[in-house]
Parts: sequence; C-alpha cells; structure tokens
Amino acid sequence: MSIRILGVALFVIAALYTRQAGTYAVTFGDVLGPTVFPIILGIPMMLLSASLVVFPSGQVDWPAPQRIGRQLAALAVLVGYTITLEPLGFPLATFLLIALIGIILGGAPWRSLLLGVIMAPALWALFDQVLGLPLDFLGDLFVAH
Amino acid sequence: MEILSLLGQGFVVALSPLNIALLLMGCFVGTLLGALPGLGPVNGVAVLIPLTFAFGFNPTSSMILLSAVYFGCMYGGRISSILLNIPGDEPAIMTTLDGYPMAVQGQAANALAISGVASFIGATTAVIGLSLFAPILARAAIHFGPADYFALYILAFATIGGIAGVDPRKTLLSALIGLLLATVGLDPISGVPRYTFDSFHLYDGIEPIVALVGLFAISEILMLLEKSLKNRPKAIPVSSWLPQWGTIWRTRWAMLRGSGVGFVAGVLPGAGASLGSFMSYVAEKQTSNKKGTFGKGDPRGVAAPEAGNNAASGGALIPMLSLGVPGSGTTAVLLAMLISLNVQPGPLLFERQPDLVWGLVASLYMANITLLFLNLPMIGIFTRLMMTPTWALMPIVAAVTFVGVYGISNSVFDLKMMVFFGLVGYLLRKMDVSLVPLVLGLLLGGDMERNLRRAMSISDGDWSILIASPISVGLYIVTVAFLMLSVWLAVRDHRQAKSAPLTEE
Repeated sequence: MSIRILGVALFVIAALYTRQAGTYAVTFGDVLGPTVFPIILGIPMMLLSASLVVFPSGQVDWPAPQRIGRQLAALAVLVGYTITLEPLGFPLATFLLIALIGIILGGAPWRSLLLGVIMAPALWALFDQVLGLPLDFLGDLFVAH
Repeated sequence: MEILSLLGQGFVVALSPLNIALLLMGCFVGTLLGALPGLGPVNGVAVLIPLTFAFGFNPTSSMILLSAVYFGCMYGGRISSILLNIPGDEPAIMTTLDGYPMAVQGQAANALAISGVASFIGATTAVIGLSLFAPILARAAIHFGPADYFALYILAFATIGGIAGVDPRKTLLSALIGLLLATVGLDPISGVPRYTFDSFHLYDGIEPIVALVGLFAISEILMLLEKSLKNRPKAIPVSSWLPQWGTIWRTRWAMLRGSGVGFVAGVLPGAGASLGSFMSYVAEKQTSNKKGTFGKGDPRGVAAPEAGNNAASGGALIPMLSLGVPGSGTTAVLLAMLISLNVQPGPLLFERQPDLVWGLVASLYMANITLLFLNLPMIGIFTRLMMTPTWALMPIVAAVTFVGVYGISNSVFDLKMMVFFGLVGYLLRKMDVSLVPLVLGLLLGGDMERNLRRAMSISDGDWSILIASPISVGLYIVTVAFLMLSVWLAVRDHRQAKSAPLTEE
C-alpha cells in the first residue's frame, strides 16, 4: 500500500511539473529553451510512477506507533532548532538540541542535560573561537534593539 | 615515467603542513566513523563537507581530508564487525561472517590484524590502479562531445543503482526526482526562473550539499530511532592485541585475490565497496573452502572481503575523477563537493588541475600507511571510543551537522531545507528507493541539460545528433544491455521470492 501511495504522490508531482514546464517561454537563439528538458523528465516519471501504482514492488515495515512517536519528537526538535537558533543564540539552542535528542535516543535525562551543558558551549568555543566560524553567542532575544 | 614525475609533483602538494595535518585528522576521524555502528562513509563525509566549506579550504585540501575520511571508514568498519558482530558500515557486513567467530574463539587480535593488513593491501592496490588507469581513461574521454556526455550521464543513471539493486523502476524514479530538483532555480541559458514558487531562496537552485547532508545524515537519525535503543551487545574482551604474524602470512593469497576482485568491482559503475567485499568473499570461498571452514572463523574469510572492500572503494574513485561519473554513494558525495567548489571532475581535470589529481593520489598512498599504523598498533583507542553510547554520539553529530550547513551561508532557510530532505530521505529509504541516484541527478542535472541543449544548438534542432557519434551509440548500447540485465535479475528474484513460501507450505 505504501508503495502505491508513493507512486501516486510521484505521479502527481510529475504531472504538475510537466504542466508547469509548458508555461516557460521559449527564447530565440536557444533551440530547446527552458521547456523541453523538464518535459523529457516529467513524462518518463509519470509512466514509471504509474507503473508503481499498478504493480507495486517490495514491502515496507513501518515502525511501531510508539517509535513513530519518538521519530516525530526528534523531527520536532530538529525543526525547533532551525526556529530557535537565531533568537536564542548558538549555545542555548544547541544545549536544547543535544539534551532533547539525547533523551529521545534513550539517554538518562540528567546525563543528556549534562552532555548538553558541556557540549553546547564546547562546540561554540571550538567553532567560533578556535576555528573562526562566526556563531552568535547571544541571540536576538537578549540584545536590546 | 611520466606518471612518476607527476606523482612526484603530487607528493610536493601532499607534503605541505596543512595537507599533512588534514590527512592525519581525516584518517583518525574516518577510522572512528567507520568503527561506530550507524555512522558510515556516506554520512561521515556528508557531515564533514559543509565544515570544509565553512573553513574555506581549497579543493585539493578538502579532497585530501575527505578522501582520508573515506578510506579510514573502510578500514574502521571491520572493528565493530569483528568485536560486536555489527558491521560498522555497510561493506563490512561480509567481515562479520568469519571475523566474529574468530573473535569468539579468542582470536580477536589475529582477526583485527589480518583485516588491517588486508585493508592496506586492498587500498594500496586500488591507489596503484588509480595512478595507472585513471589518466588513460581521462585521455580517452577527452574526445567526448556534448552528445556523448549526455549519453554518458544516461549510462550513469542506469547503472548507479547497481546490478544487485532492488526494483530498477525505483532507481530510475530516484534519479528523475534528483533531475527534477536540479531544474529548480534560474535557467542558466535563458534566465527564466523555473519552479521557484516566487521564493527568492530558490532562485539559486537547491544547494546539493544541503540536500545530501539532509538525505544521508538527518535520515540516519530517524533510522536509528526506529531500532531498539537498549540491549546493545557487549564487545568481546581482548586480552592481548599482539597478533601471530604467521597467521597473517598464510592469508596472503586471499588478500591478493580479494584485492583484484574488489578493484574490478569498484571501477565498474554503480557497484561500489559493498559489492566489492561481497564478490571477494564469494570468490575466495569458492577457491579456498575445501574443508568447509568458511563462516566458522576462517582467517581467509576475513582477509578476502576486507581487501575487496578497500580495493573497491579506492577503485570507485577512478570513474569519478576521470569521467565525472561516480561509482558509489560516497564518491557521489565527493563529486558533490568538487562541483560545489567549482571543480568539474572529468578528463579536463587531469590537464587543468594536475596538482589536485596527483596531490590527492600521493596523499592516498600516505593515507594508507597512516591507516595501517592507526589500525594495528593503535587499535585499542578505537575499540574504546567505539563503545560511545548512541544517545551521547548522535546529538553531537546532529549539532555538528547544523553548524556545518549554517556555516556555509548563515541561512536558516538552508537548515529547514536540510531537515525537510532528511524526512524525504527517510521515507524513500523505507520504501527501498536508493538515494544515490537522486543525489547524482541533482548534481549532474544542470550539466546534463546544458550538454543536451548545446548538442541541439549545434545540430539546429535535429535530434539525430544524439546518436551521430560512435561513442554515444556505444554508450547507449551499454545502457540498454545493463537495464535489461537488471530487469532480468529483478524478475528472477521476484519469481524466487514468490516460489520460496510455496515450497515451505
């Protein structure tokens, strides 16, 4: 079933992609223009994904619900990091990242927190101070505007 | 003799203090990444690429660092295969078959030493092969025109999934997804923005490095989370690290045979190190398994796949450097780095940037000697570091990944893109869709379109130019033959899979 859904999803993407390709204007002096190559890609992709819908192959073992929960939690932490990095600054956001991913991966909470407390400033010092890669120490939140 | 003088110049490049430091660091980090289960060459190299960018190393130094990591991973993978019965990376699976039984029988020191020496012999064979054959291949490829390059790219996509791959339709779809992504951004010829959804972030296209770090490194974290996190096996305790040299000497022919088989497998497109170690093991078993000792701790069963693994991973550099077409996942990632640094691998690379090519080759000779040293006398360090628990290791890997990608452009958009590709990569891997063709498509897509359009401009819109030269016709014939072979194999496996349950009932 999963493979069929993948086939449908890819088919829809390929179809929209091919339709969109037709709207790009052909310029002079360039024989194929920006349109033809995307169409060359889109059509075989539609055929192949349609064949996956009709003749799916392979089975997918999705993880147990509890483990999917763990994966979603990890994804939320990763997305959260991209949102908090600039407002909170590197050490604080990275502390949260390391501690939370550590806990999700089954580390004891106090150990994971300790790892974050040590590693977040250590990474900042390594990259910003030693290796010269600028990373915000304090984010926008703590700076008076 | 020309090769020797070029190699001499290469050693001058490789012996600069920065390059020596990067080489030593790469060998150490690589062996460690290889030994740690869950982190393999593809992830390791993918995580480190953004950092090399952020530090602004030149292409030669970046390539030396990452190739050392790549080679180191191949050496290190065997350590956890032998001591934990868990392959440290994919090609080390074959080493568990005889390596772990040897360790159980109290021969861990011998198994580790044999596989270390075998890795050295295999990798050195590959580097010698690289010095001899890559320039020849590059010289032949210099006659390629735009239509021939288009045909070569088609061949690359058809073969990258490998003969042993799963459903060939999924491989092709993966390549098409990559090519689709490559068309995002301003069209370089006409300047028309394509598939940008009016977002200025997408005008420059999708940065391949950001995509592939997400696809390999972030998806690996999601993969780890679906496995059981507890009950990790204990390593077999080793009382003495001193091996018996006689046992190593007795496996010399297995090492040489494995190196030969592995090297050939590595040079072929789409095969890579996993197939190299598999084929070497099977070949050695057919030649030497007279008393049925294979699988029960036969030293030759450790020597052959390790030699094959390392010979194949070095051999895979040959098509990458001389044609610009990678033969494996990690070489695809290395290609991504070179392209992002505005170095176009292929035949012209050997003429225009001999310093890069020969500096790299020279440092690979040095890397092998360094790795032999790291993997024999200093093996104890890695066995201790290998036991770092996952909960402590992966959060730091995640943080370093973010630092690297953020360091390229200081863009939070890139970080979001990376996490998005991590989710996509996870879902595709779950459905047996290989990610390597996708990366290859994203990398080569722009060039492929440019060559097609250039060829069509030369012929003024006549499609027959695509099959006008004997080179392109030959490449298309190989492509079709390869596709037919993989379809035939897939159908055969499908039948076997169907008939197997019937016989059980």
